[in-house]
Amino acid sequence: MRIRERWLARIGATSTRMRYDERLREEIEGHLALQTAENLRAGMPAAEARRQAVLKFGAVEAIREQYQAEVASAWLQTLLQDLRYAVRMLAKSPGFATVACLTLALGVGAGTAIFSVVNAVLLRPLPYVNPGQLVSLSEGRPKDGTSGDGLSWDAYTALREHSRSFRAVAGLAIHALTLTGQGEPADMSTVSVTPDFFSLFRVNPLLGRTLMPEDGQDGAAPVAVLSEGLWRSRFGADPEIAGRAVTLDRRSYTIAGVMPANFRTPFVGQTEQVWIPLAQDPLFSGWRTRPQTTHWMAAFARLRNGVSIAAARAEAGNVGAGLAQQIPAENGWAIGIDPLQQVIVGDVKTPLLLLFGAVGLVLLIACANIANLLLTRATSRSREIAVRVALGASPRRIARQLLTESALLGWLGGAAGALLAWGSVKACASRLPAGLPEFHAVRVDGAVLGFALVLSVGASLLFGLAPVLGAARSDPQAHLREGARAGETRGSRHLRSALAVAEVALAVVLLAGAGLLLRSFAHLLAVNPGFESASLVKAEVSLPRFQYSGPEQWRAFTDQLMARLEGDRGLHDAALAVPLPILDNAVSLPFVIAGNAPLPPGKTLTADFVSASPQYFGVMDIPLLRGRVFSPGDTATTPPVALISETLARRYFPHESPLGRHLVFGFPPNNNVSREIVGVVADIHDVALAQKPGPMLYVPFAQQPFWGAEIVVKSRLGAAEVGGAIRAATHRLDPGVPVTNIETLPQAIEASVAEPRFRTVLLGLFGAIALLLAAVGLYGVVSFSVARRTREIGLRMALGATRVGIRRLVLGESARLVLAGLAGGIQASLILTHFLSTLLFGVKAFDPATYGCVAVLLTAVALVAAYIPARRAMRVDPMVALRCE
Amino acid sequence: MRDKKPKSDVQQGTLALMVLKTLEVLGPQHGYGIARRIEQISGDLLAVNQGTLYPVLLKLEQEGSIESEWGASENNRRARFYRLTRGGRAQLQAETREWNQTAAIIERFFAARAEDFS
Repeated sequence: MRIRERWLARIGATSTRMRYDERLREEIEGHLALQTAENLRAGMPAAEARRQAVLKFGAVEAIREQYQAEVASAWLQTLLQDLRYAVRMLAKSPGFATVACLTLALGVGAGTAIFSVVNAVLLRPLPYVNPGQLVSLSEGRPKDGTSGDGLSWDAYTALREHSRSFRAVAGLAIHALTLTGQGEPADMSTVSVTPDFFSLFRVNPLLGRTLMPEDGQDGAAPVAVLSEGLWRSRFGADPEIAGRAVTLDRRSYTIAGVMPANFRTPFVGQTEQVWIPLAQDPLFSGWRTRPQTTHWMAAFARLRNGVSIAAARAEAGNVGAGLAQQIPAENGWAIGIDPLQQVIVGDVKTPLLLLFGAVGLVLLIACANIANLLLTRATSRSREIAVRVALGASPRRIARQLLTESALLGWLGGAAGALLAWGSVKACASRLPAGLPEFHAVRVDGAVLGFALVLSVGASLLFGLAPVLGAARSDPQAHLREGARAGETRGSRHLRSALAVAEVALAVVLLAGAGLLLRSFAHLLAVNPGFESASLVKAEVSLPRFQYSGPEQWRAFTDQLMARLEGDRGLHDAALAVPLPILDNAVSLPFVIAGNAPLPPGKTLTADFVSASPQYFGVMDIPLLRGRVFSPGDTATTPPVALISETLARRYFPHESPLGRHLVFGFPPNNNVSREIVGVVADIHDVALAQKPGPMLYVPFAQQPFWGAEIVVKSRLGAAEVGGAIRAATHRLDPGVPVTNIETLPQAIEASVAEPRFRTVLLGLFGAIALLLAAVGLYGVVSFSVARRTREIGLRMALGATRVGIRRLVLGESARLVLAGLAGGIQASLILTHFLSTLLFGVKAFDPATYGCVAVLLTAVALVAAYIPARRAMRVDPMVALRCE
Repeated sequence: MRDKKPKSDVQQGTLALMVLKTLEVLGPQHGYGIARRIEQISGDLLAVNQGTLYPVLLKLEQEGSIESEWGASENNRRARFYRLTRGGRAQLQAETREWNQTAAIIERFFAARAEDFS
């Protein structure tokens, strides 16, 4: 005991030691100086005067040590005593302790779990060297209000050569190449990069080397760098991998090295990928020399030391102006520079912060709830406190005791909350929506645990304050005079009512937010995409481009494949298209209406482009409104034809029939082909359910073939069966062609709303927790008030009040609380849901129906919570009530 | 530590009372002044070990019975002046009463002779 005390004393003393040690030293010095001066006046020689003063004072060191030990051990002993007492008090009322701990665990757990996502996505810096220097380069047309498009090759070259703000500039393009020779052929995510890519991110390879500038020269030997994931899954983690070959699109690349798993290309989620020089890419290498400007390249740069983004932007403005003078196609385009992190987290920031705010509200409700419980307890303990005050305990001492109790609760609840967060993060990490930029794994680490600690300590201070304030106002004499009756001050009663009102108000805010998201989500699911997705299965077939290098081969292969599928029982309703609506990224192309006056410079018309087989419209159930759909007679050798969507027809041919008119457009390099409009089809949601259909152009696949296509089959068979049949048919033609991404269309559309679903489910969950906590809080307040007023109720009944009247009395009291909470909550929601507006679809931030439902729901739950104590009040026996006390 | 404590407690308690009383009588005082005053009145009780006064002053200040601020001493040195707070005044009254009571009881106890009990 003694050793432990001394050891504890040493720790405890450090906090106060500095301050008081300094004071003590000062005082001792001052005292000795005064005493010496007096001794001098008395006639002593200087040395003797000082010596006598010191002698008279006593052993300075001993005094200091003794004082320190006393201060520290007193402080610690008080703490230990308070803790012991707090543990005893909690153990004495296990029900209260459990409810309080669970409430806090819910609040802290939800907060910590969301924080682990916020931490991984928003807070932790990107895992690159000096990530603050990395910027994303883009182009946009300020006049059209667009931004964030890729760079054209010319803009990239100009920035690389003329900009002095950047230490390095690198561009990349991403697509899938066919990996063969290592098991089942696969679509491999391939990042084609300019030579500076790896030096820009300053990463070292795990094995071998990265790409050198020489590898980027035209005519250099083809090399590739593998990701660690790919190296492990398909190459057996071979340590001698450098120098071996990998076959991509039937072409052999020498493996230069392996990148560690923690290096990811921005915007690429796959852990299995391969990097090759852009010059060696079967598709993009050709795009560098194309005369016309397409904005296809994602580009990054590293700022030089000390160069601000503003300076880089100013310089890029000049570079862009110079470029526009040289190349007319760049007219109207502007170069954008944004911090890389900002660009990466851009889309998820708002919903994440929203969820974070929501759990903050849940935690506040939890705190209010515990504060209420503690207040109730403090009221029934007021006599105990009064006795302590009467026995000489200072208000500070009492406050310290009460705060120790709430801190203990905070620690217990916080620990349970951290555990809850750990469990839920572990369970949910794999179910996070795919759109989340996961540079860092979402997990409970030191920072997250620290956050949980701060939350629980902060929360315990917050709810611990309520009983302290209550106790500070209490008058010990009044309590002692009142005898055994548990009294309470008016102040603490008001405080408790205010807390209940606040809980209801916070719950209203959360429920309103959840309700709005829920209605948005329902609207989203109710959107008719314009095509019939039920019983559709799709699979992606990709042709290796070095072997199937031209349109004739693509066409020949797909013709054979479609013929085989049509011959197959159960698969004859098959079509192919590139790209599929919602599932694939839309391809937007410029077009010109033949015969119209030329548009002013810098102005272009664009529409989403689809290349489809004749059966596509029948299989997808896209209605034909005018003219005809494609026929097998539309071939490469017949005049080019096109279909347009209703919106395009309405917008650009408002007063005439578009049939027979010609549009000039096409996928590069066929962009100058004039095509006759042969029909108009209905609009479909091709980008996303949430986005209104825009103008669309369709061309026959036979006239615009690609090196791969999405096969869509309408069939009563399951996805696995249809996928297997498509794979079998494909592999009978060529076993080296990968068939991937097999899924049903309903599934795929479902997956496209995973992110709104995620936030809706989470906010709904938080809303439910809030509702539950608010109900518990209200129940607590009302039932305590009934218990306190038992005597009064008995008296009223003795004087003739009916049971119904008593019930009305109790329910009326809780109705007042709920109404006040509703009023406050709706006002707060009107302000706060404004932040939601970008996430809403089909509902306004002020949606009367949602608010009405929330109000009704809360009132109903509150009435149930209040009804239980009200019934107890009705059953009060006046005789018993009056006799007791 | 344990066997020494009761003795120092008694001493310190007494000393604290003396400090409070001194401040009540003299008004704000610096440490040296308090020490001198106690020395004058109590004779040699503190002459041995003036230093023990300062821990008591700090402790009383921590407990809120006295407060301190910087001021200038008679011969213009910077010194910390202690002053009784309202709480300290109340504490002094309470302890004085208690002390008187205890003293009266002990006095009567000592004054009692054997025949008083018969």
